[in-house]
Amino acid sequence: MAHKNSQKRVKPEDRKKKVIGVVARGCTTRSLIIHLQERQYERDDVCIIGVPCDGYVDGKGLKVKIGGADIVEGTVDGGQLKMKTSDGDKTVALKDVLAECCLTCRFNNPIISDVMIGSPAPAMNPDAEYNDVKEFEAKSIEERWAYFIKEMEKCIRCNACRQACPSCYCPTCFVEQSQPQWVGIGEDKTDTQVFQFMRLYHMVGRCVDCGSCVSVCPMGVDLRKFLKKIDKDCFEMFSNRAGSSMEDMPPLGKYDEHHDKQDFIYNP
Amino acid sequence: MSENSANKEWEPKIVAIVCNWCTYAGADLAGISRIQYPPNVRIIRVPCTGRINPFYIVKALQEGADGVLVSGCHPGECHYISGNLVACRKFAMLKSFLNYIGIEGDRTMFTWVSASEGDRFAQVIRGVTTKVKALGPANKMVKKF
Ligand code: SF4
Ligand code: SF4
Ligand code: SF4
Repeated sequence: MAHKNSQKRVKPEDRKKKVIGVVARGCTTRSLIIHLQERQYERDDVCIIGVPCDGYVDGKGLKVKIGGADIVEGTVDGGQLKMKTSDGDKTVALKDVLAECCLTCRFNNPIISDVMIGSPAPAMNPDAEYNDVKEFEAKSIEERWAYFIKEMEKCIRCNACRQACPSCYCPTCFVEQSQPQWVGIGEDKTDTQVFQFMRLYHMVGRCVDCGSCVSVCPMGVDLRKFLKKIDKDCFEMFSNRAGSSMEDMPPLGKYDEHHDKQDFIYNP
Repeated sequence: MSENSANKEWEPKIVAIVCNWCTYAGADLAGISRIQYPPNVRIIRVPCTGRINPFYIVKALQEGADGVLVSGCHPGECHYISGNLVACRKFAMLKSFLNYIGIEGDRTMFTWVSASEGDRFAQVIRGVTTKVKALGPANKMVKKF
């Protein structure tokens, strides 16, 4: 299944639609845990049918790989993706077209479940998870800024990233608030930058790296470069990986007097 | 431009968001004791650093502040017990993330100043003003009105 088609994300409001069973792979269980930590419903309200996950195909990347042809049909056969396309039959190695977030996924097996289907999937490559971020951190500050504004200039503020995100379920998002109006609704570039910056910041301890935002973005904004930094910082500073344990609390809702980093505090 | 203003050195505008119980009182003490500090700060008083939405800081930068300073009670001295500790986590993330996207770390500063530290308050303002001056006028994420 293409990554895009897997993006029916579970949000807390689905409860009203009487969703009681969820077929969940690793990242889905992480977002369920986040909903539970944020007290959106009770554990008993959902029945989680866990499925192991070998990764999803990045639809846009695949299309580029096969030269823009339309895919009519596809089957997976021993690590190979065989397709009938408008440009004849094509075969690609599955591992070459998996979504970026899936390649380095640390939690491809469900963390919580009531029923499990199938046997656990083999580990992906989580050691490489922050390679991209580390490389970006090593760049000069001007290079980083140039990249940020270049990416944000692509954004048309369609809000698709927010709509697709399982952690973005606020009844009134700051984007729509008018008192105060946090972000202008015009075309001002800084408004887009501030919108993006704040939505990314709202993902502290809440982004499960499901890749939904990246996969729905019509403009191909490199959101993951920034989301992974938040994830990395959150782990390094607070040993928190979003939605990885039922015992954890949201990292910004608690503190640790003795271990929290204080070295950024200014001392004249 | 008149000769006068051309010669005038550029002065940074710094927004200082401070808590009511410690740093604001510290600023008061600095004033009462007639300790001199640069007039570049515009103080905004909030009940507690825990009350500060990180959005305030980002908005201040967007609306043209050259630097933002946040100051509250020292750890363990918060009037609301742990407001400053929770805030501390938010700010650590914010500062690091701003720096990651390319906004100089010295534009957002965080510190603790207690009600009895008028001296420290003046020192902080001097230090922050010098740092922001060295960076020059803010030009990233700044909205042109
Ligand atoms: S920010 Fe993107 S990757 Fe993270 S949880 Fe939301 S949709 Fe998934
Ligand atoms: S961007 Fe922030 S305010 Fe808006 S829906 Fe997402 S978490 Fe809520
Ligand atoms: S989906 Fe892409 S273009 Fe739309 S608001 Fe999000 S980042 Fe911007």
